[in-house]
Amino acid sequence: MFRHAPLLLLTWLFSPALLAQNQQWKEVNLAITDGVIVPAYERFALATVPLTTDAAGFCAAVTQDNLAKLQQDFQQAMDGWQGVQHIQFGPITYFNWNYRLQFWPDDNNAGTRQMDTLLAAADPAVLAPAAFAQQSVGVQGFQALERLLFSNDSLAALQKTPFRCQLVQAIAHNLGDISTGLAKRWHDEFRTTVANADQRGGYFENSRDVTLDYLKAVVESVRRIQRQKLEAVLADSQAAAHERKAESWRSDRSVRNLRVNVAAFAALFSQSKPALSSVLPAADIPAITAAFDKVEKSLAAAPDSMTTALKSPQGYAALKQSRDDINALYEALEVAVKHTDLYLGFNSLDGD
Amino acid sequence: MHTLNRRQLLALGAVLLTPAVRVLAIDNSNTSPLYVSAATTNENTYFLMGFRHDGGRMQPVFKLQLPERGHHIAINAQRGFLVSVARRPGTSLVLVDLATGQLIRELQVPADRHLYGHGVFSNDGSLFYTTENAFDDTTESSGRLVVWAVQGAGSELTLQRLQEFPSGGIGPHELILMPDGNTLAIANGGIRTHPSHDRDILNLDSMRPSLAYVDRHSGKLLEQRFLPEQFHQSSIRHLDVNTDGAVVLGMQFEGDAFTNAPLVATHARGQQLQLLMAPEEIQSQLKQYVGAIRFDTSGRYAAASCPRGNQLTIWDTHTGTLLKVVRARDNCGVQATDKGFVFSSGVGKLAELDLATGEISEFEGAEKLALLWDNHLVVADTGNSA
Repeated sequence: MFRHAPLLLLTWLFSPALLAQNQQWKEVNLAITDGVIVPAYERFALATVPLTTDAAGFCAAVTQDNLAKLQQDFQQAMDGWQGVQHIQFGPITYFNWNYRLQFWPDDNNAGTRQMDTLLAAADPAVLAPAAFAQQSVGVQGFQALERLLFSNDSLAALQKTPFRCQLVQAIAHNLGDISTGLAKRWHDEFRTTVANADQRGGYFENSRDVTLDYLKAVVESVRRIQRQKLEAVLADSQAAAHERKAESWRSDRSVRNLRVNVAAFAALFSQSKPALSSVLPAADIPAITAAFDKVEKSLAAAPDSMTTALKSPQGYAALKQSRDDINALYEALEVAVKHTDLYLGFNSLDGD
Repeated sequence: MHTLNRRQLLALGAVLLTPAVRVLAIDNSNTSPLYVSAATTNENTYFLMGFRHDGGRMQPVFKLQLPERGHHIAINAQRGFLVSVARRPGTSLVLVDLATGQLIRELQVPADRHLYGHGVFSNDGSLFYTTENAFDDTTESSGRLVVWAVQGAGSELTLQRLQEFPSGGIGPHELILMPDGNTLAIANGGIRTHPSHDRDILNLDSMRPSLAYVDRHSGKLLEQRFLPEQFHQSSIRHLDVNTDGAVVLGMQFEGDAFTNAPLVATHARGQQLQLLMAPEEIQSQLKQYVGAIRFDTSGRYAAASCPRGNQLTIWDTHTGTLLKVVRARDNCGVQATDKGFVFSSGVGKLAELDLATGEISEFEGAEKLALLWDNHLVVADTGNSA
């Protein structure tokens, strides 16, 4: 296709060749947007519905069964979020939605401090949706809800403290609002923004710019999960492993997060027609496909429980294998990108 | 000057073992500006690139391989050379002849110092000033302002390290010469780093960035301004000054990612810092990071590049408001032109924004060079017609 075409550096606005090229980028972008991204956001919005519905009635009957139901709802909603977590452009950047959904990693433990402050004040006025949206991000999203639902004493604490239960409702409502807002913005507005990327003065420079954002969403997210979700936990040895640096250590679904992430990366990379993979050299695709397969197999073979895995040499080795396989996937992607004239960024990775 | 340590020997080796200079074309009849920027390739080799742009056409002038990653370039028009200053924690100053594009020499800072990527000449071109880290100094004044004398000429031209003063804080970054010709404004970023810890921030909780005005002759601290406590993690990195002495600051926030922190500020001597904020929906997209800042030729409007947010932001410093946002992927280098601003990006683009019309014209041929433009872009000369 246009993967090896040299960039045509004529005045782009009047260049028929570049217009044709833009059309090809646009085709890929719209195929991804319509076939992968908008559906993923819609799945996320739908996945939060049981959580908001069940949470609304939860405080009337705080029982073990109802808590178990909410925990199940949480898992479903979190699956939805993990399926779009790698999309770091567009509506997710509006209204601090990204951090309000999930404030993690939280190296300074700010989320715990913020929630302790909120629980100590126990002011029901701050739980009204408009007011709650203005609270610290550390109390608004999945990490806060996980703490309320999956701590060892969650049931007793929720039964004893009505405000804690109301906070569960507020967070669930908040997650529902944001996930619905994201799906709506993508469907109603941002899809059009992607389609009109070649109009000057818009959100994007051109259609190629959109494709680069999608490519970054795969390549940089592969690196991110390797570093944040595995290496930070695994440290240098089993003895030095940091279980609590895992993304979802309380609900012990950190391995599940990785599986959902990688499936989402693979879908973004190859599911649409034309696929994102078509912007990379065809010769490099088999290696990337094989690397994806290997990661998916090694994550499937890893123990479901990261907590348990970290307690045994075999479990630790399985996670380490996943880490190595994710690293190999990143390297395969990086090699392919270097064979093109697509640059994912340089100054944006800087610190000066 | 001093004995080279292993790190410096390796850096020097890189220069000696590679074809350091490739003079592509020197055309003194060219009437367009000579731009210079540090750059890299997709293979992570570092260069200094000089080019002109005329009638929509790129004309490469020189390309030198650098011993380590460059950052800013200081121009000495009187003596006809430039200094490429290594990015932190680099240690090299690379001197280049502006007329020929040839390497004059490479200098190293002492073993217990490293550079921060910036330097500036005195107006008469006789003295050069760098910001440096005395990294084994654990006090609150480990930042140094270092004075160098320009000596010799032609192939003998060099910089002689003369003396150093406190910069007024930790982690000094860009420094600029004020219109009085005697005062240096220094952005003390407030971030403590040590080469043994790569680029890790060692004092995140106690950061105290400042804007310091220092007498370049005596080293006396004349005035110092700090940010409000809530923004003590806003590292002041980049500066520019207009002919009236108004200073504009670009910052990088090192605190929580969700904090709506200011990234641009203005200052006039004797007054408080004025923090500028974009509307919330835009501010949150800038990803807490300004990479470079420059006034336009009128001295009223300032461009702040936001490579993490993929935006070039234009501010009206008289009203303190955001005037315009231009989508520009990985844009960082920015420089005033007659029309507005030229800007460069880490994805290989160069373009000019016409402030009056809002039109953006890309530099034809820029991406063909396959160079990713680094943090700063400077104008070495304005062309023979100017």
